[in-house]
Amino acid sequence: MRITLVATALLAALTACAPPGQSGSTGTQASGPIKIANINAQSGQLSSLGQWENKGVKLAIKEVNAAGGVNGRQIQLDLFDDQGDPTVGTNLARKIAAEGYIAMLGTAESAVTLAMAPILKDAKIPNITSGQSPKLAELKSPFLFLNAPTSVTFDETLAKYLVDEKGYKKIALISNNGAYGSGEHDAFLTSLKTRRVTPVADEVVTPDQKDFNANLAKIREQDPEVLFIGAEEVQSGLIAKQARELGLKAVIAGGAPIGTDVYATTAGLPNAEGSIVSSPYLSNEASDAIKAFAAKYKTEYNEDARMHVAKAYDGAMIMVEALRATGGEGGQKLADAIRAVKRDGLLGAYTYDEFGVGIHETKIGLVKDGKVVPEAAS
Amino acid sequence: MQVLLQTLIGGITFGAVYALVAMGFSIVYRTMGLVNFAHGSVVMIGAYAASTFYMATRLPFAVAMVVAIVVTGLIGLIIERFLRPLENKDFTLMLIGTIGFGAVLEALAILIWGATGHAVPNPVATEPIDLGGVRIPTYSLLVIGVAALATALLALFLQRTKTGAAMQAVAMDHEAATACGIHVGRSNATAFAIGACLAAVAGSLIGPMLYVNPTMGGTLGIKGFAAAMLGGFGSMPGAIVGGMAFGLLDAFAAGNFQEYSELVTFVVFAVVVMIRPMGIFGEATVNRA
Amino acid sequence: MRWLLGIAAFAAAWLLPYALGGYSMHVVDVAIIFAVLAIGLGLTMGVAGQINLAQVAFFGVGAYAVAILTTGAGLGFWTASVLALVAAVVAGLLAGIPALRMQSHYLGIVTLGLALAFINWVTNAHVAGRAEGISDIPVPPMFGIDLSSAYLFYYVELIVFVVFLALALFVTHSPLGRRLRAMRDDDLAAGALGAEIPLLRMTAFVLSGLYGGVAGVLYAGLIRFVAPETFSIGNMFLLLAMVIIGGRSSIVGCVVGALALAFVREALLDVSAFAQLGYGVIVVLVVVFFPKGLAGLLSRRKAGGRARLGPFQEYGTAAADEGTVLEVEGVTKRFRGLVALEDITLSVPAGQIRGIVGPNGSGKTTLFNVVSGFYSPTRGRVRLHGRDVTNLAPYRLSLRGVARTFQNLRLFEDLSVRENVLLGLDRTRTAWIWRYLATPWAVARYSRGLNRSAEEIIARFGLQEVADAVPRALPYGIQRRVEIARAMAMSPSLLLLDEPAAGLNGEEVRQLAEIVRSIRGSGVTVVVIEHNMGLVMSLCDHVTVLSSGRVIADGPPDEVAVDPDVVAAYLGDSMAAPTESEVEHAEG
Repeated sequence: MRITLVATALLAALTACAPPGQSGSTGTQASGPIKIANINAQSGQLSSLGQWENKGVKLAIKEVNAAGGVNGRQIQLDLFDDQGDPTVGTNLARKIAAEGYIAMLGTAESAVTLAMAPILKDAKIPNITSGQSPKLAELKSPFLFLNAPTSVTFDETLAKYLVDEKGYKKIALISNNGAYGSGEHDAFLTSLKTRRVTPVADEVVTPDQKDFNANLAKIREQDPEVLFIGAEEVQSGLIAKQARELGLKAVIAGGAPIGTDVYATTAGLPNAEGSIVSSPYLSNEASDAIKAFAAKYKTEYNEDARMHVAKAYDGAMIMVEALRATGGEGGQKLADAIRAVKRDGLLGAYTYDEFGVGIHETKIGLVKDGKVVPEAAS
Repeated sequence: MQVLLQTLIGGITFGAVYALVAMGFSIVYRTMGLVNFAHGSVVMIGAYAASTFYMATRLPFAVAMVVAIVVTGLIGLIIERFLRPLENKDFTLMLIGTIGFGAVLEALAILIWGATGHAVPNPVATEPIDLGGVRIPTYSLLVIGVAALATALLALFLQRTKTGAAMQAVAMDHEAATACGIHVGRSNATAFAIGACLAAVAGSLIGPMLYVNPTMGGTLGIKGFAAAMLGGFGSMPGAIVGGMAFGLLDAFAAGNFQEYSELVTFVVFAVVVMIRPMGIFGEATVNRA
Repeated sequence: MRWLLGIAAFAAAWLLPYALGGYSMHVVDVAIIFAVLAIGLGLTMGVAGQINLAQVAFFGVGAYAVAILTTGAGLGFWTASVLALVAAVVAGLLAGIPALRMQSHYLGIVTLGLALAFINWVTNAHVAGRAEGISDIPVPPMFGIDLSSAYLFYYVELIVFVVFLALALFVTHSPLGRRLRAMRDDDLAAGALGAEIPLLRMTAFVLSGLYGGVAGVLYAGLIRFVAPETFSIGNMFLLLAMVIIGGRSSIVGCVVGALALAFVREALLDVSAFAQLGYGVIVVLVVVFFPKGLAGLLSRRKAGGRARLGPFQEYGTAAADEGTVLEVEGVTKRFRGLVALEDITLSVPAGQIRGIVGPNGSGKTTLFNVVSGFYSPTRGRVRLHGRDVTNLAPYRLSLRGVARTFQNLRLFEDLSVRENVLLGLDRTRTAWIWRYLATPWAVARYSRGLNRSAEEIIARFGLQEVADAVPRALPYGIQRRVEIARAMAMSPSLLLLDEPAAGLNGEEVRQLAEIVRSIRGSGVTVVVIEHNMGLVMSLCDHVTVLSSGRVIADGPPDEVAVDPDVVAAYLGDSMAAPTESEVEHAEG
């Protein structure tokens, strides 16, 4: 009993003192390496995206360090695995804040980035993400930047091409209800509405779904000219394959996933043939700069470059450029510096607006024999 | 009408795969009393084995499939050694122990093949069959045919061979079978190997239908398990009927309830199992209070 | 000593933040949330034996309810929290309904399915923010203390955690927890002892929902963001692993397991493929080699190896009630066409020792199962003290004074002898459980009373030396006596003994006869199934003989023994008749 009393008194005394954790903040050192965190899923369902992003970032930082770093300081790039789980993401946001990272690159999943954004904003850590959900832009966080256009841009370009240029009117939608799929669905639907086109079918599936016979049979009844797919790479491929098996003749169209080899091989090359893709990065041969990048990438990792690595590379380079401008300093200054960057990147010309979006246009390409060729060239 | 029939085609094709997975669950359960939650991951290993042989060596698909069945069956024997202490133990331990084993298999697959996965080209390149607007992909026919063949072979094995009869005896009465001089350990190992072979058949068939990656076993395992339960856990005809029923349920839920299909599927499943806790064909060992 | 340890641990926990950096603090905060979840899962799965794979969904219900009510409906954080707890408990109730019909892997996959259905719903529903989830949950207000600081939030968590840990420990060690554990070990025997199995199962799920809800509220307050992935099946399995590694039947073990695994997971965050491999291997090793988890390594129960029985102390004599205690009238029981009992009629007057004999498969145990409520008769009625009790559930019959033992001994293997006796003593209805929250001191007082009575019974049956051993560790003869002591703890008016002498040696049979006579002497009516004819002849006042499900003779032992039908039945081709276990098997 006495011990209880003593303990209670002790605790009371301690509570009366200053609460813990108030003293000491992590300042940014002016010397030593500049710490940048790369947070991406390395395990779980969508780890392939995370691994590509990481390869692009690593390549960029390696080049920068080899060329002498930022104002003589090397960049220390550390990879963290968010497992595609927003909770893990929020933990990591706190972790990098506590461990003195001044900037963050990633993640590839909008839901994770959305979860991390408020914490990074409080910690004043600028984040260049690979997510492309319109919700990221809606946050209007001064510390959040996208290295690619949002779904709105992707789908506006696509709708403009399909409706305005090609004159298609009978358009069917199939999309999944995940963060990416629902973003695509909403953006494309909005673009169609402004053109007074009502889709003839609008099917929603789950991200885990594998059998689309029921959904596609309903779409087939409407005999659409265009089938818009809003889903990740593999699922887009499965949908395309099953659509063709059902004898659906419609032109397949969609965002960046349609431009990948994963889509083409999953669908089967003949089924993917002629699919229309809206993307800022159409192929590895689009320009000399891209060709040079693709060659570098191939030597480094012995695999072909793709949009995901290119935009991660662009994002890392923008971050480096901003760091050069601030002299390695982070916080608000770095965020302002990123906003000021004007860069002619692999995905296009980056000029950041108040939403943190740097690229405002995409191009139209066609899938030919598993590869994307720019529309104009076809 | 066309939509209905087309949905049916999709449901039956996936139902055949679920049935194969469910049969794997059931044969292991009835013989050794083990609920093997690693089964989904064994399917994944089977899918990787078949697709790797098929794509790397350019073997005909049938040969690749046989190789995958043999390899996965052998892996099954190894797994059975590890899981032996769990046989007939209480369910919670089995549950978490086999889930743990599934996690090990998944991690090994990531370390061996990488996290990205790969698409498998369709081995039958002919056009789908068109029956008055309802299109049946030739590969679907192959899947259904192979699943039926595997089922028939298994039935023959269980009824016509000595080893099969011994396994039936162990399934019916563990102690009596031991008393009759049946080597229960060997019988269990055989059952597990057969389960793994069935998983390999399911895995190799599903490869070209889907996309092979380390996490593919999760959903397949849960749905196959639910299918086994729907038919009556441990019953072989139950596994087939349950697999088909689950495939169809899944397909019609997708068509009619769109993004809410998963919710509908599992709520319907829960209600059906509530009404018939022992499944369509029944299992003898359900707890009653 | 335990109290001291507890206080020391609490003081250390209180001081912990002074030693931690900001991120470590956050990791600890998250770990505590998992610990609360693990306690809930430990209660349902470890203590009550209900396979519940929806714990992570209850967690989600709690967190989402807070998120929706604060951001959508504009409620204050704490108001929303209370409603969130209610929502989680309701979710627990709903998910518990299947448990009334099924157990084990069936229950596992159905609860897993319901968890998937929940994830699917939040991914789709606009109100739940769809796949992107809900952000901007307000910081919980607390008299001007800034709870957005991981340090200060820690103290909120710590207090909530301690309160709910204490509640869980209290529940486990109280009569309710004992019943839950008994239900886990053997729900049929628990029912026969007066435990309302359906209500207990629902209680387990309500507790599960409550703990899930508490964890969800804490999560919403700490992370202030919810998204579907957090409540995925992967995290459910992680939670399961925490509970198993810690030791599922020990609440403290669950907490240790949860904290340990949360920290290990954090440490291995950057090498996830290998982490998954390691985590899988550890789980398999623990399950195979230490099925009781970390907690099992620390605590070992006393073995009763050399223990001896003390002498039985006779009951005082009391006059038996007047009239007929048990009447069975025209009872028929069929299992899918097999007739196990055919038109059985018998009546047992108060204060009698009635013997039921007959060859194997003659329906004796089936008759007991009908009388004690395990089976509903196909036809006919059963009356107790003149009141119709046909079709009553076992627990109701138990509360009306019917106690029984089992042919193949159904002692609760993981409970000590004393706890087995305590279960018999506890005559409360499960509806009593509201007191656990409202007036815990009354529960504690009641529990102390039970303990005193248990000591009396243990002394009477000479079980002092073995009181703390688990039945498994005891010789067969002692287990038989424990089962009778447990039945007598229920203060029954009718005691049904199913082959009480099976496996006993001569001296033990003699003691048994003495005990049964003393029990009768205290005013209890006894019906005994027995094969040992010597015992039947010397002990019973009246014998009923069954053969192939019919009564073939009924009368005083010496008359019955020479009845030609009885002789024929015993010598005749009784092997052709189906054995009782075959008949019962066919019913499934």
